[in-house]
Amino acid sequence: MIKLAEIKKSFGDQEILKDISLNVERGKVVAILGPSGSGKTTLLRCLNYLEKPDEGTVSVGEISLDAHSVRKKEIIAIRRQSAMVFQHYNLFSHKTVLQNVMEGLVVVHKMKKSIAREQSKKMLAKVGLEDKLHHYPSQLSGGQQQRVGIARALALNPKVILFDEPTSALDPELVGEVLSVIKEIAKEGITMIIVTHEMTFAREVADYVLFMDEGIIVEEGVPEQIFYNPKEERTKRFLKRLEGDDYDNQNHAGKGVHQHAL
Amino acid sequence: MTIDIPFIWTALREIIKALPITLMLTLIPLCAGFLLGLILAIIRIYKVKILAPFVEMYVSFLRGTPIIMHVMLIYFGLPLLIDKVVKEMDMNVQTNAIPVSLFVLFALSLSAGAYLSETIRSGIVSLPKGQVEAAYATGMTTFQVMRRIVLPQAFAGSIPNFTNVFVGFLHTSSIAFIVSQKEITGAANIVASTNLKFLEAFIAAGMIYWGLTILIEVLSSWIEKRVYSYAKGGIR
Repeated sequence: MIKLAEIKKSFGDQEILKDISLNVERGKVVAILGPSGSGKTTLLRCLNYLEKPDEGTVSVGEISLDAHSVRKKEIIAIRRQSAMVFQHYNLFSHKTVLQNVMEGLVVVHKMKKSIAREQSKKMLAKVGLEDKLHHYPSQLSGGQQQRVGIARALALNPKVILFDEPTSALDPELVGEVLSVIKEIAKEGITMIIVTHEMTFAREVADYVLFMDEGIIVEEGVPEQIFYNPKEERTKRFLKRLEGDDYDNQNHAGKGVHQHAL
Repeated sequence: MTIDIPFIWTALREIIKALPITLMLTLIPLCAGFLLGLILAIIRIYKVKILAPFVEMYVSFLRGTPIIMHVMLIYFGLPLLIDKVVKEMDMNVQTNAIPVSLFVLFALSLSAGAYLSETIRSGIVSLPKGQVEAAYATGMTTFQVMRRIVLPQAFAGSIPNFTNVFVGFLHTSSIAFIVSQKEITGAANIVASTNLKFLEAFIAAGMIYWGLTILIEVLSSWIEKRVYSYAKGGIR
């Protein structure tokens, strides 16, 4: 349902994505792992054209865009197929929680306000924020803000939700609440692509894992294979290094694996 | 020289009759300038082809020269231009019949546009980019993003700067006196020279300007409080 073909993207003379191709089936949860600067966020942002690829084809749902012949209308059309959850939440700070979720429904999908309000309340209940409807983002914790971000994405009823490091900006003690919300909605069969550093989470929630480094997909496969039996040297090195560095986050993802002293 | 304090009150009552003209010379340029400034700011932010460099020059020139110059240039220059156009087009317009206040309003509007375009632009630029991306990601058009997300926050964040420009243009309206407009400064001048009590008349005028300025500041902070409820954590 989602297809990337031969995507290339450079910033200046730095090649960020070197010929990436990818297929995601309906209802699958795909996790993209990799060191910083590997191009995983750029890849995600090419999917909704927040970054315009230099070359290649992006298909989401029925819409297919070739980088050489895109028009504004098509970009808007492909964006309406997906929804995004951002690292820094990016809630509209002049709107209440409820208004944040309703905004896309009313403005983009031209839904009647009363219907949009009901649907938004339902989504906010799903992420456990039914008691914060009339609060402003500045009154919420990071974890709560990110859950609003997730409700905002869910409400649009998209073909796919793109998660761009949804817990990276959170205080460690708030990571768990966001991950458990994502796990819940993953069970509902919504297609998701998640860029994350949370290894334990990725292992538990993903149907398929991509490991990226230096603008290419180094290795891909089911979580068991990538985590327990990686074939590529770079994947092995990355996972090994992460076992040391990322113990803190892993603990909060549920099953703590390592207990290092600081 | 002695000062005739009771006369200040007499002068004040006479001068304040010119208040409507001062308000007109302040508010109309600000409103026109706001629309103009909004357009100019958007042209600069989106770097609209061909137009953007002209807008940049326009803003640079008008902010780089005294407003009194703009009034002079328009007052003496525009009639020549209109005469020429009228002649070419064979129309029947008498530039002499155009009221002077229109030239002043036009000149002040052009200046206000330049100043306000910078105020609006800084409000837009200071908005976190992430919110704009989030709006685009839901599939909004550029116009929807501007209207729903960017401008409401840009305007709210610019209230203190708008107040500055407002106060500045209230005081700037006094230069209309040079082309014989009977606004507060002009009226003060008349009261002063007919009674030969200059100091008293201008003290009275000063008090009116100061009072108006305080009024504007009070109004501004009241609006600010209401608009900022979202940023301060209050619930509407």
